[in-house]
Amino acid sequence: MAAEGNAPKIFPSSHKTVVILDHSPFMAEACGQTVDFDILPKSRAAPGIIPLAPLAKSLWTCTVEAASEYARVVYDVYPPRSRDKLLKFVITDTEARSLNSWLEEEQSLSNVLQGLAVVGPPSDSDDAENCSVMHGLAMAVESLCEGSEKQLEHKASLSDPEEPVVNKGRVVCITTVKSQGHIQMLEECMQEAIVQHNKIAEAADKLPITHCELVLIHTVPVGADNNIQDQPNKEVSSLLSCEVHSVHSGRHIAAKLALLVQKHFHLTSTTITGIPMKEEQNASTSANYDVEILHSKDAHIEILKMGSTSQGYDSSGFACSKDSFGRETVILKWCTPKTNIVELQYCTGAYRITPADVNSRPSSCLTNFLLNGRAVMLEQPRKSGSKVISHMLASHGGEIFLHCLGTGRSPLEDPPSISEGSGGRVTDYRITDYGDFMKENRLMPYPAPQDGQILPEKEAIAVLERTTRYWPLVISDTIIFNMASHTDPLPTLITKAALTEDEVVECQKAIYHLVGMESRSEPLPIPAMGTRGKGPKRDEQYRQMWAELDTLLRAHASTSINHQKVLECLQEIRRPAEEAKESSRKAGKKEEVVVKEERVMTEQSTAELAWQEIQRYKAMSERERSDFERGNTNNDHFRHRQQTEVSSPPIKKLKTSLEDSQGKQQGGPPSLLAIWTSRINSKYNSRHCEFAGRLTAEGNKAELYVNLQKDGTNGTSDKPSGVKQEKRGP
Amino acid sequence: MPTVILLDLSLSMTRPVVSGDNDFQRKHLAIQGVSTLLDYLAAHNRLEFTALVAFSSLWELVVPFTRDYKELKEGLNRMDDYDKTCIETGLAGVSQIVMDEWGVGLPCQVVLVTDGSPGVGKGSLKESLERFYSSQHHHDDLSTDGDEFPLPFPFPSKLHLVCLANPPEVQGVLGQLQRLVDMNGGAGGVYLPEGELSMATCQSLFSKLAETQFPSVSWTLKCGHMSSEVQAVPVVETFKKTYDFGPLVREPSLQMEILGFLDSKDIASPAVISRHLVLPKPTKTEKEASEGESGASGEGDGDTAEHDGKAPSFCVLLHGSLKVESMVALVQLGESWYGFLYSWADSKKKSNLMLSVLEPGEDAVSWLGKISQLGPVASSPHNPYGEDDTTSPYPVRHADKRSYAQNTTVWIKPSGLQTDVQKILRNARKLPDKQQTFYKELNRLRKAALSFGFLDLLEGMSAMLERECTLLPGTAHPDAALQLTHAAKELRLAINKDYDDNIAPLQTHFSKSDND
Repeated sequence: MAAEGNAPKIFPSSHKTVVILDHSPFMAEACGQTVDFDILPKSRAAPGIIPLAPLAKSLWTCTVEAASEYARVVYDVYPPRSRDKLLKFVITDTEARSLNSWLEEEQSLSNVLQGLAVVGPPSDSDDAENCSVMHGLAMAVESLCEGSEKQLEHKASLSDPEEPVVNKGRVVCITTVKSQGHIQMLEECMQEAIVQHNKIAEAADKLPITHCELVLIHTVPVGADNNIQDQPNKEVSSLLSCEVHSVHSGRHIAAKLALLVQKHFHLTSTTITGIPMKEEQNASTSANYDVEILHSKDAHIEILKMGSTSQGYDSSGFACSKDSFGRETVILKWCTPKTNIVELQYCTGAYRITPADVNSRPSSCLTNFLLNGRAVMLEQPRKSGSKVISHMLASHGGEIFLHCLGTGRSPLEDPPSISEGSGGRVTDYRITDYGDFMKENRLMPYPAPQDGQILPEKEAIAVLERTTRYWPLVISDTIIFNMASHTDPLPTLITKAALTEDEVVECQKAIYHLVGMESRSEPLPIPAMGTRGKGPKRDEQYRQMWAELDTLLRAHASTSINHQKVLECLQEIRRPAEEAKESSRKAGKKEEVVVKEERVMTEQSTAELAWQEIQRYKAMSERERSDFERGNTNNDHFRHRQQTEVSSPPIKKLKTSLEDSQGKQQGGPPSLLAIWTSRINSKYNSRHCEFAGRLTAEGNKAELYVNLQKDGTNGTSDKPSGVKQEKRGP
Repeated sequence: MPTVILLDLSLSMTRPVVSGDNDFQRKHLAIQGVSTLLDYLAAHNRLEFTALVAFSSLWELVVPFTRDYKELKEGLNRMDDYDKTCIETGLAGVSQIVMDEWGVGLPCQVVLVTDGSPGVGKGSLKESLERFYSSQHHHDDLSTDGDEFPLPFPFPSKLHLVCLANPPEVQGVLGQLQRLVDMNGGAGGVYLPEGELSMATCQSLFSKLAETQFPSVSWTLKCGHMSSEVQAVPVVETFKKTYDFGPLVREPSLQMEILGFLDSKDIASPAVISRHLVLPKPTKTEKEASEGESGASGEGDGDTAEHDGKAPSFCVLLHGSLKVESMVALVQLGESWYGFLYSWADSKKKSNLMLSVLEPGEDAVSWLGKISQLGPVASSPHNPYGEDDTTSPYPVRHADKRSYAQNTTVWIKPSGLQTDVQKILRNARKLPDKQQTFYKELNRLRKAALSFGFLDLLEGMSAMLERECTLLPGTAHPDAALQLTHAAKELRLAINKDYDDNIAPLQTHFSKSDND
């Protein structure tokens, strides 16, 4: 299997890499290549100006540049916050200095570059005799014995504290060796250092090295004699393997490290061809460019595996890139981007990328295009000419990802529509309401919870639990949610975790509004769907509405005391109806009244009870009404009245008397009820004929039910004082 | 997941089950058994694809991947008898068929039905295994010859080897068969009839295989108190992956609990490990009801309505709203394991609820941040979606920037250095207007030169700025010459100064007067 050998292994050596840079005086030598940095544009090539002489880079400069590029690629593809791939830079001359540690905050290219600036270039005048790369190797081994954050977490998670942590690492050492024997000596030195440090590590609280891979890069100036041969990876011992790369400095060492970073970090290269870019000089035309990017090999797992069977895939998918350094790259073609790619793509993988040549003009054009929020599809070139879009480039939060798209046939093709399945024939789902519900329950990122704080995810579940306690799925199953303009803001407020006093009043206001509607016999928005025949009568509709509201408020009553208050408000208003039923049954006035459950009641009796209820409300005196609304119906005065009234004929009154009194009142919540009540009463008083008994009575108060007072013995004794009641007015 | 049934049609399959009874061959048992399996699939997994492959020393695709179980059964009846058993060839055939059809990403089940005779000579099981192990020992990275052993399959798979034989007959072969399963990663197994080989034991063997390996799993889709019984097609597999610090195994919890909702554009297109149709599960009574025309309406009829075909389903409501609003529902599938539900349409008319399963872990979608730290908008004092729904809290931006998102200096190619030098000169000529950019670029070059130990460049750049000063036209602002001379001088001094000691513009009375 072609891809098998590339599969990532457990505890990879790439978790920790130490890069050793030789800082001995020899590295101050010129690298043998020069850079023309003073390019005079033709327009400015005035006579008399001689361009400055090209600059010579030192071996050190070339080494640092190549190593920085190695780090740039690693940190781009494996961001330090994931703490998966760590680099540590060590400078060695007469002693070894490390520029950073394994800690996440010290893992960045800028941190390394700053350290290198502090170290500065090597100087000819340094003590060459005492400089040795061995100092660096020893420090590298010591560093590898230090556990990374992830390794320490892993160690802590092991059930057996004695179980050794697999601690592998890699050392990339850039230096100039004198001879083959010198290499041998370095290997032995390294082996000895590992053995010694492992002994110390076991005693101290450190991690012994399980295996270390030494990558020795021997570099000489371009054009200089080089008598060191490349050596493939060989096992020096069970603890150490070693390989040698012999390269010229200048651009050669950079190319070598670019190749090694791919090998060391499971990366591969893709070249995107045919990217149209406008020319700076001639903006009307565009030329096509290629951009090479690096990313995890996994992004091409499909091509690699399919390539091995060469079925339908163009084997020329692997083409050699132009730099002739032996790097292979997969060619993908740029597809002209659509205006927006917002639809969800079936994406089997998303891997961070980095341009191979970060500051070339084509690269920065491409990256800026993507960072500005555009996405582009990439197509595989195939012999057959068929178009297969296999990848997508897009940025998310300032990072560019190569998305792998599913190219094979989908086993999900041609499924039955959801409308053919269970519940699919229902046509009156509350789609819009649930859409609003979803918008209200969108998620947002929160900072990590502090100790004792609830995880935001759990909070989200709690909110959904609260908001769905009563949530009818279809329009025909609900009345209160179909009349939002009347019930608002009660359904929204009641699902909150806590209600303020003001919000309780808001909810109560909504309930009173419904009471008002009922008293005016306003039609309820009952959907025609799902009802047979003429549908229930208006009184029945109101009864259903109250029952539904009761269900909703009951579901939330347990949330807090204030929620309970809202339910109590409803119950107080509804109690007269319940008690009226009770009494009417007891009185035996109605025939065949069966009160089994709320839901199974004959329409006639319900209608009549509801009628009586409305009438009673209208017939209340001012004080009774305010008692009623305050939910205080426990006084006997009130109860007496109820009991007697149901059996008495309803008082005729103008139905229009309440018509305009119910408009939504503006004003401070505490005084609202008073305003409302007084306004109703003023209208009320102006329109209806005063009760004859009251007109003749003293103080405008008629003594009612005189007979009852006389008959009942307990009625008068604990009758509360009316004055007292009025003091408790709002 | 798709299934390939690989049927051994070698001559040995024509052996009679009971010696002397020529009418009743092992092949018949195999066909009967496979038929049992197909009946089960038709009843429980009718949206899955199945292919039928026959093999002996060659292989043949008898019925390509289909949901048409009738066609598969007809294919079973067209089976001829061929020559010798060559399991390696059969497996290679399966590999090619699956790759051609589905690629390498989709998990498949392979059911190999054989009589346990391993074949003889080249291509026999024994010879295949020997060849495989010898190639392992020689461990040749460059071996690209076509004779690679087909196992492990390049796609995730379960390999079930059904051996229709009396157990004593195949004692020697069982180990080899098990080795095939192990070579493929260990998922699946070797199956033998319980007791003596007969039609009955064979049927119960296939029934057991069907029930254990092709289960119809029921999930609960849940959003607070709203819920639906649903089926995920194909089945959500146990997640297994080896990470840098060890293997991870996650079992699906069989509960999709909605955590909240996101706009489709915010979740973008994250990497998913699998996709599944989420179908509301019909209840038993509903199945019965759907056979006759049910006249009862579903409104307010209490419990009986729950089982009616017209009973509302939360799953359908959710789908409808997700589709209308272009949103996704984030669901939890297990411990630190998430997925998302959305409306997906194969054709323009038919749309469905789809579950995309994310790789287990809090960081499955980097641009959402840690998933467990996603909380309800309602708990925040301000709504990140804004009053008019035009803003979004996503993507989550991380503090560390990638090299391409900042002005990274790379001078490995001379063009990199030349571009940076030219940029400074361009701004130098537009002094004092471009003073800020000029010093910014100059300091970037200074820092890079210090980091790379390329001190000659500072000297060179300094000389270049001095020359630029002499070339200034007479119309140039007097401040330009002052700034250039200052910058050239400071650049030389920078060699011995601190990395963070930026060169600041010269305070001239021109710049002061500008400020006044």
